[in-house]
Amino acid sequence: MNLISIILFLPLFGVLLLFFVPNTKTQLIRRIALNTSLLTFLISLVLWVEFDSSTARFQFLEAKAIYGFSFSSFNFLFGIDGISLFFILLTTFLIPICLLVSWTNIQMYVKEYCIAFLVLETLLIAVFSVLDLLLFYVFFESVLIPMFVIIGVWGSRERKIRAAYQFFLYTLLGSVFMLLAILLIYFQTGTTDLEVLYCSNFSETRQIFLWLAFFASFAVKVPMVPVHIWLPEAHVEAPTAGSVILAGILLKLGTYGFLRFSIPLFPFATFYFTPLIYTLSVLAIIYTSLTTLRQIDLKKIIAYSSVAHMNFVTLGLFSLNTQGVEGSLLLMLSHGLVSPALFLCIGILYDRHKTRLLRYYAGCGRTMPIFALLFVFFTMANISLPGTSSFIGEFLVLTGTYQNNSFIALLAATGMVLGAAYALWLCNRLIYGVIKPHFIHEWSDVTRREFWMLVPFVVSILWMGVYPEPFLDALHCSVSNLISQGM
Amino acid sequence: MVFSNDSLITHFPTYKTFLFDNDFQSFFPEIFLIGAAIFLLVYGVIFSTSPNKNYPLLIIPVSWLSLLACVFAFLLLLNSPIQNALLFYNTLLIDDFTTFLKALILFSSFFCIFMSLDSFKLESLNAFECILLLVFSACSMLFLVSSADFISMYLAIELQSLSFYVVAAIKRNSEFSTEAGLKYFLLGAFSSGLLLFGCSLIYGFTGVTNFSELAQIFTGGTQEILTTTTSLPACELGMVFLLVGFLFKITAVPFHMWSPDVYEGAPTPITAFFVIVPKAALFGVFLRIFLESFYDFLLPWQKILLVSSLCSMLLGSLAALSQTRIKRLLAYSSIGHVGYLLAGFACGTIEGIQALLIYLFIYIFMNINIFALLLCGMRRETLQTVPRIKFISDFSFLSKTQPILALTFTITLFSMAGIPPLAGFYSKAYLFFATMSSNLYVLAIVGVVCSVVSCFYYIRLVKIMYFEGPKNWCSFSRIPVENALTLAITLFFILFFIFYPTPLHLITHKIALTLCL
Repeated sequence: MNLISIILFLPLFGVLLLFFVPNTKTQLIRRIALNTSLLTFLISLVLWVEFDSSTARFQFLEAKAIYGFSFSSFNFLFGIDGISLFFILLTTFLIPICLLVSWTNIQMYVKEYCIAFLVLETLLIAVFSVLDLLLFYVFFESVLIPMFVIIGVWGSRERKIRAAYQFFLYTLLGSVFMLLAILLIYFQTGTTDLEVLYCSNFSETRQIFLWLAFFASFAVKVPMVPVHIWLPEAHVEAPTAGSVILAGILLKLGTYGFLRFSIPLFPFATFYFTPLIYTLSVLAIIYTSLTTLRQIDLKKIIAYSSVAHMNFVTLGLFSLNTQGVEGSLLLMLSHGLVSPALFLCIGILYDRHKTRLLRYYAGCGRTMPIFALLFVFFTMANISLPGTSSFIGEFLVLTGTYQNNSFIALLAATGMVLGAAYALWLCNRLIYGVIKPHFIHEWSDVTRREFWMLVPFVVSILWMGVYPEPFLDALHCSVSNLISQGM
Repeated sequence: MVFSNDSLITHFPTYKTFLFDNDFQSFFPEIFLIGAAIFLLVYGVIFSTSPNKNYPLLIIPVSWLSLLACVFAFLLLLNSPIQNALLFYNTLLIDDFTTFLKALILFSSFFCIFMSLDSFKLESLNAFECILLLVFSACSMLFLVSSADFISMYLAIELQSLSFYVVAAIKRNSEFSTEAGLKYFLLGAFSSGLLLFGCSLIYGFTGVTNFSELAQIFTGGTQEILTTTTSLPACELGMVFLLVGFLFKITAVPFHMWSPDVYEGAPTPITAFFVIVPKAALFGVFLRIFLESFYDFLLPWQKILLVSSLCSMLLGSLAALSQTRIKRLLAYSSIGHVGYLLAGFACGTIEGIQALLIYLFIYIFMNINIFALLLCGMRRETLQTVPRIKFISDFSFLSKTQPILALTFTITLFSMAGIPPLAGFYSKAYLFFATMSSNLYVLAIVGVVCSVVSCFYYIRLVKIMYFEGPKNWCSFSRIPVENALTLAITLFFILFFIFYPTPLHLITHKIALTLCL
């Protein structure tokens, strides 16, 4: 059997197993879900090992022929190239972490919770590996349903319904325009198969319209500045695991869409709209970094910093040279490691004190030294300290952007300074300073589970920061192919 | 006249009408259904007024027998010896299009009656004539779909509408229901009058009422070639009246005012029948009229339908946002769905017709699901009142008391909102594809935006079910088995249609082609 089919259906097999377990055996439920997701992660590592990085073609191709399915525009075609590979790895890496995070603090509807995450895993792997435009759209949208449920049911506060609504409706409004664009493409070319579409040309006016429609959808997901408001709300209201998967993977869906669809399919429109993207990205970087300085909710701070990082990524993507695109891909991966790690740290604090307001925390480093070590490390990674993965990403992005437009690179670089400002200030207020014993009553440091949850993040961030070659190798061919196609 | 040479005997030429060769054979389903309805009527009258048997309430036995009649009519329809014919002196016809729509009508009326059985008992709708009127209207819809002439179309529409007027007011001790019936009667009769006026204008200026003969007369339209000496602008006026009558009957926007009041006032099983069944028949006959006879007048009626569709979609999504009663909400949402159907109609292409038929099919399934839920009789406020769901907030806490029902409702609502990968998404996607390929971009863009806006109130129902606590004490009971069966079948279809849309796709394509060619 093909590796991709195994990875796609293993979580669903786990869901099937979970259906037969009674609701009261929560430990068994969690164990089955965790083991299924860990097994999926192992198999996806095999995918990485078996990946051939010398070609830009799609590998591990799998055409699912559902019996009797002859409607020609629904091609269930799955395949991986260098870009998708790492997103799939990131997904399968983060889902076990999500399940581990909620080991003790989710007590009601545990079975439905694990089922939601496993279904989400399958949908995300499908999104990144499907090679058909309409199916990409279907899976892209279907991801909304489990997320809506996770935020709405297991969220932590009363505003969660409003946040779930906002999340759902913002993304839906953006993506219905994408549906129209896909239908127009299907009408013109007669197919939605991606490899065929890469070879087709659209007229310039049509490209502009189609690019805008796709932009409407991806810009909400990235999120870019006018439509970014759903992100802080959704992050704050979601449970820790929901925030982890939201920051880790769901934000990457937008930029993946840009890279996979907007840039190669509509090259003229990409050139046409690059100034727009640059303006919006730089605006977002500077504006959100400045807004973060005012926040008092820990999760909101990290959420806004996610917005800033993702806009760095779009900056790099639209620079359309190898350094820029590879840098943005590395930045995506590193952000997918750093942001979830920070949310995990905040989750650790939330589990103990049940508050996320910065006012109540100070001097945590005195009683939680290991936590302080990890938190400071992740803060340094957030700032893009050299030696961590985000440094490589941001450096390459700025190099790529500088080749296009040095003024934008200058403004983006100031974003790095602002990033350092809020991150260091947060770290300072949280970890150092005089401890507040009238607010903090739990003195315990990280537990064994929490520690070993965070260690893989440390290892990967350091690995990517010091020796990014294995990651960059796999990306080279696919990225250069994508860019040359766009030209 | 033939004059013979040597006498004054004149012979008039005789016409053979061919009335008895194949005509009755091909209409077995309708004949059976009418016969069964009349038989059940007689049975009901005789036995429900018999003092020996203590004046029994015969609505449930009559319902089961009429369900059986529907099943038999369905089987007769599928095994009909005649597949394509023009019958009864060119006033009725049969082809694949009519067979499909008749099957759909019989199927949906079967399920409407099936899921209302328990509701009749709970609401004490003891008049067995109610069911028979529904059967008569179903039969008239079968005739409507296969009509090929204005006269047969008008007769069928009148029979259907008259049955509906009576049945809307069937709940005699409720002023609400009487008011609904009266409103429906007044406005319906008026619009039927307009319809007839349109037909008479066309007859007056062309002298024919047959659809295919009209198609021959109107070749070339009003602008390019005038092949006849009839006054074509007057015929266009007649067409507009016809269109107005049609738009009224399907509750499209400038003429939709009666529908929320009537749908809310009528008892719920009757509302279910109103929402689900007539649309298929009316769209069927008017597709045939406008795409066969009036095809050369495409520009005027396309514009009218475009405007009507836009406004219906907008109204359907915006007006439902402020509703607090579930039946009114469903009335406005059905106005929205009619807007989408009209968008498919307005394309005038084969993809448009196909999109309309697919949307109709899926719309019927989704509405059967929703009404099966509403007819469950699950919630009782105090011990005295009849269990029924009237307000949106009556759904609150459903996720705790009946979780599977809540899940079913959620999935159906997501499907009605058009969220992938459910059936509603497929129908909307194909519809937008058809409108984009006919260059009706405004319709597509407004359609998707209205889709998202309507999503809001569908999700609000989900929110109420899952996240709101109950406002007062209430008791819940088990749902009846017929509703459970209906829900299971339609839910299965909604969930798994996306994996195998090929049969519906191919059938509707073939039917669209038979209509156009």
